[in-house]
Amino acid sequence: MANFPPSDGSTEPHEPRDESDRPATGVEQSDLELVRRVQKGERGAFDLLVLRYQHKVVKLVARLLRDPAEAEDVAQEAFVKAYRALGSFRGDSAFYTWLYRIAVNTARNTMASRQRRPLDYEADLSESEQSVVESRMRHGDTPEAVALSDEIHRTVNGAIEALPEDLRTAIVLREVEGLSYEEIAEAMDCPVGTVRSRIFRAREAIDRSLKPLLD
Amino acid sequence: MTDQIREQMSALLDGELPRDQVGLLVRRMSRDAELKRTFGNYVLAGESLRAPGGVMASPGFAARVSAAIDEGEVAGSAVPTVPARSPARWRRPLAATAVAASAALAAVLLVRPDGGEPQLFAERSGAPESPLVVTLPVGGSSPTPGQNQRLAGYLVVHGQYATPISRRAVWSNALATDPGVARVTYENAEAP
Repeated sequence: MANFPPSDGSTEPHEPRDESDRPATGVEQSDLELVRRVQKGERGAFDLLVLRYQHKVVKLVARLLRDPAEAEDVAQEAFVKAYRALGSFRGDSAFYTWLYRIAVNTARNTMASRQRRPLDYEADLSESEQSVVESRMRHGDTPEAVALSDEIHRTVNGAIEALPEDLRTAIVLREVEGLSYEEIAEAMDCPVGTVRSRIFRAREAIDRSLKPLLD
Repeated sequence: MTDQIREQMSALLDGELPRDQVGLLVRRMSRDAELKRTFGNYVLAGESLRAPGGVMASPGFAARVSAAIDEGEVAGSAVPTVPARSPARWRRPLAATAVAASAALAAVLLVRPDGGEPQLFAERSGAPESPLVVTLPVGGSSPTPGQNQRLAGYLVVHGQYATPISRRAVWSNALATDPGVARVTYENAEAP
């Protein structure tokens, strides 16, 4: 069952308690560290959270609204709301779960204000259910967005194909399989520091490929 | 930009950067747009690998969010806040009294017919606290024109700053029936 924040636009959703018992992943701990820094006044830390989740949130909102043209505006509003509400975030849930709830709520308010029929879904924003929602809403993408996205995908894949095998294995295990550095080190039988270096070098190569496309 | 910093960014993205290195890196990234652009591309590559296709945030999206937050903060600071405290009404008579008292004391110290040091009848080190009373020993002989001028000057200054009550008190003392002694009592001039 969905546990949305109030539909009046309040940006202080209740944090689900059921997540508090499971161990936090490295990314979640990293997010929490950034959140704590924002709460202490380090504004720049929030920029990194935006960079980390911008694509996920824009993608989610675009599919909820069925209007990708305004997806970024609504996603931006969601990030701003999240920033303003961050003082109330205690860390009981993962930051991205909390952020997604704000994004969904913002999208719902946008739809309600335009008297559109909200989508018939009840999303408990777990990753799996969210991806189901996303797949159902895929028709919301514009041709331009799809074209750019496909171009980015081709570029990234091309860059990965050109990587030496050890770098390619490391980045795929990390990005696609979601393994931690320690798990990758075990799988590749090498030190954690080597894993870190390989992933970095793989990302550098991809960045070099992406740069001409995005600049 | 060194590789070491970029490698730290990569580790941060994966939640693998030691906590004690996060703060410095965040501060460096906050100041460096190129570092943030690179971080954004690291994120984009991962997103593209995991979930190809679909809408992506445009390259300037994060900067626009940052600007919107900045605008909100500026607007927030423009929201009426408690204004810089102007002197409260209750302070004005008090300040006027203090000025008047200072003027009174200065005038008293100046008004000495013999040009000598003024005498304070109540010694601070003496017995109990009593009102500070300064006597202008003008009795016996008529005040000189200079003394009159200084006394008149004092009264004018006092009248400009003192509250009506203290003004009356000082004037009544200065114009006391005993022509020989003009008593100025600090006690009457409202305590500051």
